[in-house]
Amino acid sequence: MNDKIETGEQKTGMSQGHVLDLKLPIGWLLSGYGVLLTVYGLVTKKEMYAISLGINLNLIWGILMLAIGGGFLLAAFLKRNKKAG
Amino acid sequence: MPPVITLNAIDYLIIGAYISVMILVGFSLKKYMKTGEDFFLSGRSLPGWITGLAFLSANLGALEVIGMVANSAKYGIATVHFYWVGAIPAMVFLGVFMMPFYYGSRVRTVPEYLKLRYNEATRGLNAISFAIMTVLMSGISLYAMALLLKLMLGWSLTGSILFAAVVVLLYVFWGGLSSSIYNEVIQFFLIWLGLLPIVFLGLKEVGGFQGLMAKLQEPLLHSIKYLGTSNNPLGVDWFGVVMGLGFVLSFGYWTTDFLVVQRALASKNLNSARMTPIIASFPKMLVPIIVVIPGLVALLVLPEFGQAALPTADYNSALILLMKHYLPNGLLGLAITALLASFMSGMAGNVTAFNCIWTYDIYGTYIKKGRSDAHYLKVGKYTTVIGIAISVGTAYIVQSFPNLMDYMQLIFSFFNAPLFATFLLGMFWKGATAWGGFWGLLVGIATAAGHYILYRAGILTYHSDMAANFYQAIWAWSADFVVTIAVSLFTVKRDPKELAGLVFGLTAKPKAEARWYARPAVWGTLAIIVAVILNVIFW
Repeated sequence: MNDKIETGEQKTGMSQGHVLDLKLPIGWLLSGYGVLLTVYGLVTKKEMYAISLGINLNLIWGILMLAIGGGFLLAAFLKRNKKAG
Repeated sequence: MPPVITLNAIDYLIIGAYISVMILVGFSLKKYMKTGEDFFLSGRSLPGWITGLAFLSANLGALEVIGMVANSAKYGIATVHFYWVGAIPAMVFLGVFMMPFYYGSRVRTVPEYLKLRYNEATRGLNAISFAIMTVLMSGISLYAMALLLKLMLGWSLTGSILFAAVVVLLYVFWGGLSSSIYNEVIQFFLIWLGLLPIVFLGLKEVGGFQGLMAKLQEPLLHSIKYLGTSNNPLGVDWFGVVMGLGFVLSFGYWTTDFLVVQRALASKNLNSARMTPIIASFPKMLVPIIVVIPGLVALLVLPEFGQAALPTADYNSALILLMKHYLPNGLLGLAITALLASFMSGMAGNVTAFNCIWTYDIYGTYIKKGRSDAHYLKVGKYTTVIGIAISVGTAYIVQSFPNLMDYMQLIFSFFNAPLFATFLLGMFWKGATAWGGFWGLLVGIATAAGHYILYRAGILTYHSDMAANFYQAIWAWSADFVVTIAVSLFTVKRDPKELAGLVFGLTAKPKAEARWYARPAVWGTLAIIVAVILNVIFW
């Protein structure tokens, strides 16, 4: 069962890696949440934010998550272009 | 009792989006699962940042987060010891010194290393105890999750248990360890984004960190200052903290628990494997931001934890009450999703570790030896189903006998405490013999159990249960260490040639070292320096 012993450094290409780029699902999920929270923050009334000390944190957090998620998508996109080119 | 928190459509939408993404990720990984190594070790193909974040998240379960917020409310800033003393040194040690033997020897599991270094009996002892513990643990956390969701949201126990089990089953069955690791990385981002709003709002309300410090009692504000004696909120002296928590328990967990080590073994090369725990150590140092600050804020803003209510306060509810106190719908859904994600990834982590140990170390060693890789892949996939079924069963048993939970955790602590001595001697002393390893481990486990009995019987007394726990670990470790050496002196030594690649001094140094800025030793040193500085700041 141990017939596959090789030295550490040369294994990089084994089984082609799991090529699903994790940046994509993270990017889509976070930017999706960003859009949801931003829109929800825009349509909800001010009274709802009494508990969050009067701050419309849905709006702020939505924009922040959109930025983070967008960053992941951009990174995945750039990487894909680099590979193609 | 009405549920603490009321969710609305937007919150459910956020939770649903997470579940859908997880299932999609699992499904899209399905086509890569061609060999046993693909399924059990992600084909040893993942980059360091992914395995590093997964390494951290595998340990950042929801119970851990809720428990650490509770600890912070109870013990104050001293809770940072669980991070800066009780994790960073062990993580760096694993990456710099131990990973070359784990990854370099190409073992697939931690017990397999014990088999190569010591003998079959040592592997058997470790593999069987680990497999049982892991699958029962997964059941315990499944029950804990369902109970929390019931109290918090009013969801039915059975519904939560079955739903979580099916989701985890789907994505682990399809994507094996890769699914589990990808979920952990996503959880890493969710837990920060879900909990930071509480930190910001909490700090804003109490007047910033300065306000927090000004309003709390002095003993809650220092990590080290009051450790001279055990007369501090933790009830443990410096020796117990440094040796018990910082050395024995932390090294035992971080360097030998297959649940975390498996993440590093999934790396694409030795350098990434060594960087895995070191990359994880940096965000690990920052975790106190999302657990300690909320714990301290809870003391000031929640009436439940006001001075008058102290003796009866249920600190475990601190995080949930803070969520209710601060978060509007929307962000509330995000925070609940973060907790759900860490519950599910915790369960997936247990199931994938159980899978791998069961298939390679138990089934492939004692039941059906020498079958094809395709056979073991199939066994692994169906073990997922069985492992989850046992977890669900355990969850229901624990529901009827809640005391079982404490007993199980107790028994687990007997097995974990001495293990690091066996590994330390195995990796760094070529004189440790096969039976020395076995008897050392067995006596260590027995010592932990014996210490517990003496403590319960009142023959040994400590300032707090935590102190008893730390000292139990110290005794178990010492017994293992001494017995392994003693038995080794009288039993047959292994041929040094057989130990090449497994023991320090008999292993060639890796030829191609990475450039200086990618070297584990450089980053490991940096991690230790930052941890020391943090300890000094919060002295």
